[in-house]
Parts: sequence; structure tokens; C-alpha cells
Amino acid sequence: MKLITAIIKPFKLEDVKVALEAAGIHGLTVSEASGFGRQRGHTEVYRGAEYTVDLVPKVRIEVVVDDTDADRVVDAIVGAAQTGRIGDGKVWVSSVESVVRVRTGERGTDAL
Amino acid sequence: MPSAREPFSSEQFISARSALVRRPGPFGPGRRLELTELTDAWLSGVFSASHPLADGVCLVAVGGHGRQELAPGSDLDLVLLHRIDPRRAAVIAQELWYPIWDSSLSLDHSVRTVAEARRLASEDIKVILGLLDMRVIAGDPVIADQLKKAIYSDWRATASRRVGELRVLVDQRRERFGELSNMLEPDLKEAYGGLREATVLRAISASMITDVTQMQWQECIIFLQDVRDALHQVTQRNSDRLLLQEQDAVAQALGIEDADELLRQVYTSARVIAYTSDTTWHRVQRLTTRTSRPGLRALKKGGPERVPLTEGVVIQAGEAVLAIEARPEKDSGLLLRAAAAAAQAGIPLAPHAVSRLAHESPALTTPWNQSARDDFLSLLGAGAATLPVWEALDQVDAISALIPGWSVLRSAPQRNALHKYTVDRHLVECVIQASALTRKVDRPDLLLLAALFHDFGKARDGDHSEVGADLVEGVLQGMGFQPEDIEMVVTVVRHHLLLAETATRRDLDDPATVAFITERISDSQTLDLLAALTEADSIATGSAMWSTWRQSLIKDLIRRSHAAIAGRALPEQPKLTEDQLVAIDQPGVWVVMNEVADGHELTLVAPDRIGLLATVAGVLAVNQLEVRAAKVMTVGERAVQVWSVHPMFGELPRMEKLTDQLKNAIDGNFDIAERLRKRDEAYRPTVVAAAPVVDIVENASEHTSILEVRAHDAPGLLYRVTRAIAATDAAIMGARVSTLGSDAVDVFFLVDRQGNPLSEQHAAAVKVMVMGELLQPLP
Repeated sequence: MKLITAIIKPFKLEDVKVALEAAGIHGLTVSEASGFGRQRGHTEVYRGAEYTVDLVPKVRIEVVVDDTDADRVVDAIVGAAQTGRIGDGKVWVSSVESVVRVRTGERGTDAL
Repeated sequence: MPSAREPFSSEQFISARSALVRRPGPFGPGRRLELTELTDAWLSGVFSASHPLADGVCLVAVGGHGRQELAPGSDLDLVLLHRIDPRRAAVIAQELWYPIWDSSLSLDHSVRTVAEARRLASEDIKVILGLLDMRVIAGDPVIADQLKKAIYSDWRATASRRVGELRVLVDQRRERFGELSNMLEPDLKEAYGGLREATVLRAISASMITDVTQMQWQECIIFLQDVRDALHQVTQRNSDRLLLQEQDAVAQALGIEDADELLRQVYTSARVIAYTSDTTWHRVQRLTTRTSRPGLRALKKGGPERVPLTEGVVIQAGEAVLAIEARPEKDSGLLLRAAAAAAQAGIPLAPHAVSRLAHESPALTTPWNQSARDDFLSLLGAGAATLPVWEALDQVDAISALIPGWSVLRSAPQRNALHKYTVDRHLVECVIQASALTRKVDRPDLLLLAALFHDFGKARDGDHSEVGADLVEGVLQGMGFQPEDIEMVVTVVRHHLLLAETATRRDLDDPATVAFITERISDSQTLDLLAALTEADSIATGSAMWSTWRQSLIKDLIRRSHAAIAGRALPEQPKLTEDQLVAIDQPGVWVVMNEVADGHELTLVAPDRIGLLATVAGVLAVNQLEVRAAKVMTVGERAVQVWSVHPMFGELPRMEKLTDQLKNAIDGNFDIAERLRKRDEAYRPTVVAAAPVVDIVENASEHTSILEVRAHDAPGLLYRVTRAIAATDAAIMGARVSTLGSDAVDVFFLVDRQGNPLSEQHAAAVKVMVMGELLQPLP
């Protein structure tokens, strides 16, 4: 099984949710995140006061899938989250040893 | 079931108990008594078995068990009182506690002599609270009687000192568990206004410091106990927290329509209990604080000290009460006037005054007059001090009488994980948050109205923003606000979720996103209002709604939208009307007072000089005339000032006296500062909801420099500000002064002695002087 973690622009969350549902993924975890990548944040002038935005708001999505689904799901996320501009985010995939569904105690792919 | 008299086995007890706690409703005191009697009969058997002789030993129930109010999940709260050898007592205790532990009921237990119990009670107020409710279950009643008498007399003797400890406990609990009446997942026992309050109120009553006057609260406690019984039955646990997931089942067990109705009833009860507690504590504080004890002062002055607060209202012993000459039955404006004055002074309205106002005052005629609107806004603009006054009025349905449709929102639950408060409380909470943001907007009055009404469409069918916008229009018309002001509030109410939703769901880099905002909000004044409302609303909703994450997105959107809207319109200097042009030619100092709709207008023409505005503002303040608005302009050598004033205590000063004072003051023969100082001795400090803001508008005009002052209104404020301006040798060519509820928004057009706009240094000096004056505490 694979854990797919995606950092995307906040307004792309709805699109990504729709794309994941179309890809047959019905559960995911979303959290508010902040960070920066190559663009490093930028300087803003607001009401005359200059301040540096060094952490840009992002959304973090996590979803665990079967090995065979991983590529398809990653493609779905990337396809939905892309604007082609700086700060679109990243997606990474990591291996998961085991998953247990708390309610039933099911294990492995049954728990997905 | 075995009768209560004959001892029965633990097995019999457990099965009888389990049948009783599972029995479907109705709940009620009778059922709790039944459970207590069943439990006591069994305990009494266990006690006889452990100690057949029963001399010198006695089993006592304390707390809720003592009051015969056992709930299905309640702990047994037992004390083994004795006057025997402690080792023997310990042996008896073991024999007693083991069967209880084996029955798997939870048990709070202790073994004490009378002296030990008294000593512990003297150290820990919680012990007193438990022992005040003590009741003998079995054994030697003489020892129990001895302890009970001692505890009551100790408590009475020391209560005026120790009641402070009790207060600390209440405050800590309130801090930790919140207020029952506005939590969406409340703890029925520990939250403020919950079951724990009954124990506290009874302890206060037992101390004989004061009586707990309202009686309705006891029925409310019984209802909350029923809800707790049902909750314990449904969850089969002893948790007292009414979680969202249990609410439907609990409502069903109680035979209540649905979870919303259950919560509504819980909140209504909690409000009554909290209000009883608030007023009781207020009396306790008054009666136990030495300086305000009525006795001595009353003797010296021939009556309790009364300080005038506003027309018909005086401060007495830390509360706003009606003046002797007040006639609520003839004075429809008194209710709001008293409420506003109390909130602005940061003191409660005395319960007696609240009830008289609610029952005797005639309803305001619609549309309201200017004074009623001003008072309503001042009530809203008092920061945290708004809440207790608002609650007191709401308790007697006075708010529903003022705002048609308010009753729908009262205690209306919101089944929403993001919210933590009921709709009505959320609105008041939002007003409190908004009053801290009043300096960020041009129209603090409209911000407060938008905050109060933004969720007015909740608890009704349809999109609450749209429904609310439609309803609010009618409400504000009834209050007599200007059509253009109503329109702005309605726009902000309609779009109160716009910024937050757009910022988190749309691409901020896309020009269409900003256009989406600016199509709906087309000027910077409204955008500022909406931004401030979004902040206040988010903070009032709950901490998750104003996370730095959300803030950064929303503020980014606001910044981009501001940039897209053409710059802010600059304030313009006032212009003369025909009448005033005529007055220009009058010689010397010319004063006239006209009665206009909703108040009085004073027009003054005089030779202009630096400091003239301060002088006139000072004389008006000395005469206790509140300035609602003023326009000031200079034409050649003459200054024309038009003042909209309102007598603070109802009566205008005599015109000849006022004119003489104005003339003398302009000639320099009237010591304003000294007179104001004397007058201020009798004056109350007012609350300040937000820090003042003083700003020079940059690149505003070729002819004058523009100074903006936004501050919480206070007696003599304008005098102090203009005196500070005059002290820098700046001349005021024009001014627009407005008091919007409790907030002053003033604009001054300044030049130097040569008639040029102020240099950068001079402008900075003005700013520093005015700010310094505003930050100084009132004398």
C-alpha cells in the first residue's frame, strides 16, 4: 500500500476532491498547512506597512491506496491541482506497512 | 423489589437498581428519590452488617447523594463519621467499602471524626459545599447532628471572608467549561449556569450573606437533572457532557421533539440559573466589600451615595439604578438610555431597575428617534461590558421587544462543528469583537449593526445571508436609520461570508477572483466594513475560524480587492448654507439655538483665532451638552460653527447663561479647564472598547492638511483634542465632527499661521500631541 501526500493551493481542494472521487477514492484527510518552496515567499505592502510573507498557505491531502492504484491517483491529483504557475505544490508517494480500520479491526487493503 | 426497611443482598440491590435506571422516562425528582432510597436501604444493610452496635459511628451521605438527587451515573459520596478509636473505625470502613466496590458503583469515601471534618472544611471550601448537604443514612445520628450544626455555624461566621474562595472556584470553572447557555456541547454539571451552580447558590443562601431571590431557577435545575438522568441512561456512563452525537437519543428519552428543541430548553434553563447566579454574586460582592457597605456612608450623607449617570439614572453601590425622579411609564427612551449608560460605565443594571424598565416603559414609537438610536449603538459599542447588560435585558424579553424577530434567535442551537455558541450569543460575541475593530472603519456604527445582524437569517428557512439581509432592512427602518446607511448594512449582511469563502476556495492570483469581489463590494468603505465584520465573525465563531492560515488567505484577498477599487474618497470640507452666510455678517460673537428634528442645533459665529473650536467645545462640555455632530468652517476672518447637541441630563442650560459663558470664554475670561476638572469629579470613567487612532491623511489637499481622529467618545473629548491641536499652533480651517453611538469620528482641516498646509514636522507634532491627550486618563 502507498501513502500519497499532496501539498496544493487551497482553492484547488474542491477540484482535487472531485478528481479523487472520479478515481474511486472516497476517503481522504485534509489539513491546513503553510510553507514555501522555490519561490521563497514574497514581500507585500498592506496599508502602507511592508511585510514579508515567508509562509504561503497550502492544503495538505493524505490518502492511502493499494499499490496498483497509486500512479492513477497521483495523476488525478496532479491533473486537478495544476495551474502551471509557481507554487502549485508537490505530491509524493511513500510505502505503508500496514493499515487497520479502527471500527472493525480489518487490516491491510480491506481497511482502505 | 424488597421494601426499604428490610436489608437485602447486594445481588438484589444491583438487579433492582439496574431495572430502575433502565426504566423509560418520565424522569423527575421522584425517580431520583427512589434511586436514593433504594441505594440507602442497601447501604444501611451493609452498614448494620459491618457494625451491628452502631454506637459512636454513623454513615453520612454528602453532596448530591445527601440531597437525595442520585442520577444513574452519580458517585456515592459517603463519609463514615465516628468518635471511636481510629483503628477500629478503619476496620469498620473496610467492611463497609468493600461490598460497595464489589457492586462496581463508583464511590467517594472518607473516614473522619467531627473535629477532623471541621478542620478540613476550614481548609477547603469544597468540603464545606459537600457537608452542607449531609444526611444520615445509618448509625448514630447525634454525631452527624453535631457536625452539621458546627459546619453551618462555622460557615456563617466565616462566609463573608471565605466567599471569595468560592468565587475563585466558580470563576475557574467558568473559564474551563464555559457557559452552559451558549455551548453547543455543554457539560451539564460543570459549565456556568449548570447543576454545580445550585450547590453554590445554596451555600450562599446558607451563609446568610444574602438570599437567593429569584425562585424560578430551582425548576430549571430540576430540568437539567432530568436531562442528565436521560444522558446517563442513554450512554450508560457517568459523563455529564451532552455531546452532539448523543443529543438525539437524549431528546427522545425525555420525550422532547428533537435535539434542537432539547438544546433550546437546556439553554433557557441555564440562562435563568446563570442570571440568578450573576445577580446573587453581585449582591454578595456589594455586601462583603467594605468600602461600599451602605451603613457608614448612609449615616454621614443622610442616604446612600448616588452619582448621576444619565438622565433618570444614577449609580448606587456599583450598579445603575433608576433615579428617584425617573418616570419609566412616561419615558420610552429610558430603557435604552439606562442600558447604554450602564454598559458604557462598565457596571450592571440593577435587577430591580431592569424589571421596572421592562414592565413599565412604553414601547418606543417607530421609527425610533435619534436618542434611541444613539443609545442603542452605545450599548453595542461598550466591548465586553455590553454582554451583562444585554443579558439582563434579554432575560426580561426587552431585547425581543426592541428587535422584532430576535426571539427566533434566542437560544437557537446551531448543529455545526465549527460553531461553539448559540446564534444569539454568537451575535453578541461578534458585536464585542467588532467593537475592538471600530477604528479600522469609517463607520463604527454600521460595523456594530452589521455584527449584531449578520446572522439574523439563521434559525429560519433559506440561505441565511439572503434571508437575513431582507429581514434586517425592515428592522433598521423601524429603528429609523438613514436609507443609505441601511443599504450599506444590508449589503454587508448579504455578503458576510463572501471574503472568507472566496479566499479559501478561489484562485487569488486570478483577476476574476478579485473582480468577483469588487462586482459585489464596489467601494473601499464597504470593503473595510466587510473585512472588519469577517474578522469579528470569525473570532466570535471559534478559534479554528481565525487561524493564521485562514487569516493570511482572507487578508490577501482584501489587500488585492482594495488595490482594485479606486482609492478612498477624501473627506471634504463642510460648506455654508444660505442662512449661515447671512450670519457671517453679524458683528462680534453671535449665538443662536434652534430646535431641529430629534434635537438642538447651536450656531455660533465669531472672529476666528487659533483655539476657538477648543474654547466652544469646552463651554459645551461644562454645560453637559453632548456633541452629536459639528461642522466648522472659516470664512475670511470669521468662523462659523454649527453644533448638533444633546443635553446629557435632559435639560438645556438657560440660553442667556450659555451665551454669556461662550462670550466670556472667547474673551479669555472663563476658566474652562478648572470648571471641567470640577465637573469631572462627579463623572464616571467609561469603558474603552478600542484604542484611539490619530492619522494625518497623506497627499490629501494642496490647501490644508487633514487630521483624522477616531476614539471612544468621552465627556469633553472634543475639547481635549482641539486644545491639543491649538497647542501646536495649528489653525482649524474646517472640521467635521460626528459621534456615532459611543465612537467619535472627527476630521480636521488644518493650516499653519501663514495659511499653508502643515509641514511634515508640524503634522507629526500635531499627531503626537493629540495622541498624547487621548491616551491620558481622564482626570
